[in-house]
Amino acid sequence: MTDTELRCPACGAPIAGTDTFCEACGAHVGAGEAAPDPSADTAAKTTVVPDTSAGAVCEHCGGEILDDGFCGTCGQKAPSPRDRWSEQPAPWVGGVCDKGVVHPANEDAMALAADPDGGFAVLVVCDGVTSAPHSDRAAMAAARAACSLLSGVPVPVTHGVAATISYWTSALEKATSEANGAAVGVAHALGDPAEPPSCTFVAAIVADAVITVAWCGDSRAYWLPDAGDARQLTVDHSLGTALLAAGEPREQAEADPAFHTITRWLGADSVEHSAEFVSQTIDTPGWLLVCSDGLWNYASVLEEMVALVADKSATSNGDPVQLAAALVDWANAAGGHDNVTAALARCNPPVLLHGEGTSRG
Amino acid sequence: MAEFTAEVFQNEFLSEGATDVHAVVSVTCKGAGTAGQSGHGEAAEIIIVDTSGSMDMPTAKIVAARRAAKVAIGEIVDGTWFAVISGHSVAQMVYPSHPGMAKMTDVTRREATHMVDNLIAGGATAIGAWIAAATELFGQVQTAQCHAILLTDGKIEGEPHTALPEALSAARGKFQCDCRGIGSDWVVDELRAIADALLGTVDIIAKPDQLEADFEAMIRTSMSRGVADARLRIWAPQGSEVLFVRQVAPSVEDLTAKAAQVGPLIREYPTGAWSDESRDYHIAVRVPVAPVGNERLAARVEVTINDEVVAKSLVKATWSADADLTTRIDPAVAHYTGQAQLADAIQKGLAAKAAGDDRTATVLLGEAAKIAHDSGNEDTTRLLAKVVDVVDADTGTVRLKGNVDRTDEMALDTRSTKTTRIRKEP
Repeated sequence: MTDTELRCPACGAPIAGTDTFCEACGAHVGAGEAAPDPSADTAAKTTVVPDTSAGAVCEHCGGEILDDGFCGTCGQKAPSPRDRWSEQPAPWVGGVCDKGVVHPANEDAMALAADPDGGFAVLVVCDGVTSAPHSDRAAMAAARAACSLLSGVPVPVTHGVAATISYWTSALEKATSEANGAAVGVAHALGDPAEPPSCTFVAAIVADAVITVAWCGDSRAYWLPDAGDARQLTVDHSLGTALLAAGEPREQAEADPAFHTITRWLGADSVEHSAEFVSQTIDTPGWLLVCSDGLWNYASVLEEMVALVADKSATSNGDPVQLAAALVDWANAAGGHDNVTAALARCNPPVLLHGEGTSRG
Repeated sequence: MAEFTAEVFQNEFLSEGATDVHAVVSVTCKGAGTAGQSGHGEAAEIIIVDTSGSMDMPTAKIVAARRAAKVAIGEIVDGTWFAVISGHSVAQMVYPSHPGMAKMTDVTRREATHMVDNLIAGGATAIGAWIAAATELFGQVQTAQCHAILLTDGKIEGEPHTALPEALSAARGKFQCDCRGIGSDWVVDELRAIADALLGTVDIIAKPDQLEADFEAMIRTSMSRGVADARLRIWAPQGSEVLFVRQVAPSVEDLTAKAAQVGPLIREYPTGAWSDESRDYHIAVRVPVAPVGNERLAARVEVTINDEVVAKSLVKATWSADADLTTRIDPAVAHYTGQAQLADAIQKGLAAKAAGDDRTATVLLGEAAKIAHDSGNEDTTRLLAKVVDVVDADTGTVRLKGNVDRTDEMALDTRSTKTTRIRKEP
């Protein structure tokens, strides 16, 4: 493949082989061999996407994919790299972002960064709002912008959990604002449509054995220790939360079409894009899971998610991408009614532990 | 150098189990240049003038025909091959005098103009023989872009019924022919058959004094067609069926039966010569069903010139469970579906009226009045109002008029295929 044949997996715009990010939409297009990612130590960073170049074999009928991206025999669209891809910036951090079964396009996005030694990671997931066209691009731009900022922040020598939380909460606040700016930028680039592209946002930082999370909307973060109490770190900004808070029984609330209506999001038409923050100390080995509602829809109660991850991690050899793929495939087998993203970090407590416990940011 | 663009208008979303994909492809040509001077070979033009005996009754017809032929000769650009044929019981050369074609120059233009002045009326109407003669003349110059205009005032007499169909099958693909009927004694279906086979237009000249301006416009249009021969090449997936391919603007012309299979999944449809213009095509393909969430191509639509693709667009099919997406009908598809129904209702309505079936005629022409009104097709609304009294356009309630001028009915018939363009969203 020559440079001229390369295309952005997010928006299809032509890109050069040396580009790390698409000029048109800001999507991450680097594939390991590209120019060094300024965001982090990327020695171990790999992005795996399917082969979709002209001349590839159609997975539906075995025909040939033509240069317009469709099969020359049955017309099937070649899977876009944007439809499903995985990232693994370090052996202990990885994720899978998948279009699901029913939706025609993948409007979820994910951006990950990590140190190889297990000390620092950034996991960002954004879920594009389907009713607003081009939200796939807003989601990608927002996730990328936040991850880029956060992985560029110097990791300080901090003293105590409180200082760590304070430091990273402040960084996450800036990152949320940056992500919102990127989503608004996509709307500007599209000529400010009446229904501007928008997305949810959840970003998790692992630093100094503390997880700090910022979120807007109903994408979630979970702390799932191998033993001990698991915790859903985020509380959905959605009418669903309001319904449950009002005392509506869970089953009834989840059946209400308004359950998934989000009350905070990023984008040009966002009325409230300030994030909420939460932290969690790592005092025992476990998984940090950051995911879109395409996954948690099928395991909305914490206990279900705990059981699911425990079940799938048993056969994942501790590999975050294998586990993410197992979770995504499970959601697709359950119906795949939405895009599905699962990003994971395998967290271990430091040998010497501070004893301050859990606190909210 | 001409530049083509092809733009698709469709709702690509299909509900679960749905198979029929409709799209309007708008093809636009810019920078076409002049016929015979744009690198696509020379141009050739033949003027066929009916000189049967009836053209002298009244004399105004043959006088108008002479004048119109002279204006047409004046509009043919220098360097174009041309000939003038006088059509009666046989096809007779007017210019040049021998059976062949001449290159247009100041001298030949003057000579041809002089010869046209001597046209006299007498004999029968053998249109098949005239078409056959034009085919032979065009064959002698062996050029890519051939165009004829044919004027008649009567129905075919003096040759076997098979003469015209045979002549048309030999002429198909060799030249394009615009047909004009003067007065009200000619047969719309005969001229429509010629125009349809030879990718031309058909229209009525109700009064002789309208002929000159019409001939001038026809030749001007022909001379502005710098692209000799463009084709619509349509790929449709394995297991699919192309339900129809029809031009829907500026007029409705069904191309479905004109398909030539050029590959296992590829057909080509002739569109003739192009000037700087835009034409819309309605394409319907029945595709094998795919599961919800799948995106496939229903058609690749290409414009080709000499087998070279000059424009391409994709018609898609995406199966979705979202009824908000799948129940929408694209405005262009809806509009042109209506315009095709309008033409059909007028033609069938007039046929019913001619057969004495006033009930069917009233229903069909009422339907036509409603569609014409709803779609803002003012020209057709005006023509309809000369044949029916519109009681209520919103419901399509009409009454057949008692005394209808025959030329008004024929005008409605010939122009029934003229469509209005949909206003495209910016």
